Amino acid sequence: MKALYIASTGMSAQERNVEVISNNIANMRTTGFKRMRAEFQDLLYQSYRRAGSQTSDQGTIVPVGIEIGSGVKTAATPRIMSQGSVTPTEKELDLAVRGEGFFTIQLPDGRTAYTRDGSFERDAQGQLVNVDGYPVLPGIVIPDGASSVAISADGMVEAFLTENSAPTQLGQIQLARFVNKAGLESIGDNLFVETGSSGAPQVGLPNSDGMGNLLQGYLELSNVNAVTEIADLIAAQRAYEMNARVISGADEMLSATSQLR
Amino acid sequence: MENAQLISLSRQIALQRQMDVVANNMANINTTGFKMEQILFEDYEMPLANGGGISKEPSLAFVQDWATVRDFSPGAITQTGNPLDVAIEGDGFLVVDTPQGERWTKAGSLQISNTGMLVTLQGDPVMGENGPVVFGPDDTSFVIDANGSVLVDGASKAKLRVVEFENTHELTPIGTNLYSGGEPNPAVNTRIIQGSIERSNVSGVVEMAEMIRVSRAYQTLTSIMQRQDDIRRSAVQRLGDLNA
Repeated sequence: MKALYIASTGMSAQERNVEVISNNIANMRTTGFKRMRAEFQDLLYQSYRRAGSQTSDQGTIVPVGIEIGSGVKTAATPRIMSQGSVTPTEKELDLAVRGEGFFTIQLPDGRTAYTRDGSFERDAQGQLVNVDGYPVLPGIVIPDGASSVAISADGMVEAFLTENSAPTQLGQIQLARFVNKAGLESIGDNLFVETGSSGAPQVGLPNSDGMGNLLQGYLELSNVNAVTEIADLIAAQRAYEMNARVISGADEMLSATSQLR
Repeated sequence: MENAQLISLSRQIALQRQMDVVANNMANINTTGFKMEQILFEDYEMPLANGGGISKEPSLAFVQDWATVRDFSPGAITQTGNPLDVAIEGDGFLVVDTPQGERWTKAGSLQISNTGMLVTLQGDPVMGENGPVVFGPDDTSFVIDANGSVLVDGASKAKLRVVEFENTHELTPIGTNLYSGGEPNPAVNTRIIQGSIERSNVSGVVEMAEMIRVSRAYQTLTSIMQRQDDIRRSAVQRLGDLNA
């Protein structure tokens, strides 16, 4: 009897589903977090009686066969890359992207990572870095004594230096976008790296080529919707319970068999 | 004498298979676009060797499973807000170009490949009227309208190929949410809804009730077989007793 194993694939799929949902809920307040969704697919079918096979010499055929599925599998956990809402923070180095682009971050191992989390800081050398201290590309240095740093919608960083009365341009923040941004690999710390399925990054300036523009003093919240997640959690939990009931039902049948003398 | 046991056995085998179908429906209760299956049974009349005379024996009917029928009624359509999700409302199917040939699917959770092509979660291209749907690197936001037309910045880019079948029973499920076979006709009775997906049409309550029924029927048959066995045992014991 396959029912036991079929129901166990259902239970493990729902377990995976709950894991994805709980990760979404855990990251509800993570800046720039993009929610994920578990997607399922049915497994192979076993054909006991094939539709279309002949049933008589007169050429009559089986109209509908017997096909018994063998359960479910988790096919993918695609990220839903929709825009999160932005919230004012009044911090001058907080940036939010409204559009498709990602900030580019130089990782210590030389790779380039991409993020939607624009809560940046200055390090001891005045360089613009993310919260882990990794430089934001292309390295922008805000010199000592600079005041009222302004970052325009197209990423131009300007500041008043002590000796000048007019603002000085310090550099322009670049963004990157991908053909398939859902194919990026998450490496934690709100960072993504490119993969074969995301395609190569197209680096450009904000406000061009659909990159989106920057908002200074704002952060992008996660796009997790608590109501949807809780509803999904309830559905997943019930589905899990029902699959468990199928296992115990199949078990009752088996125990009836084994009690035959 | 053994007939009662053999008939019970035929029913038990059929019930086991029915339990497998229930389990598969239940396992796929959260699978996008999944359609529930039902199993149908028929009786199989045992030919009697009665030599052409008047038979007093009643005819015997065994149970055998005859077909699994897929219920293509619509599942609940839920909003996801993801522009790459499409729900197919009506009788239509999307066309997927797999290495084995064209296949049909109801699962509209799509992705974009690294080359900008619209693909399924398996990476197989989803077909438009004129081949696969390919987005350029600058196509940021696209809209899929109710007819399946894909619009980028208001300009029509492609049109999803949506097909319908006169007889959906000809479709064979091949796993990974795909079906093969059947004769596709252009869809007339279908609407595409972007930003939503169609959930499976499995009803937990119905399947649970079915499972309990199957499980109890199986137990009843077991006790019938048990009783048959008891009768036979006592017959053997009584008749074999020399003092009788």
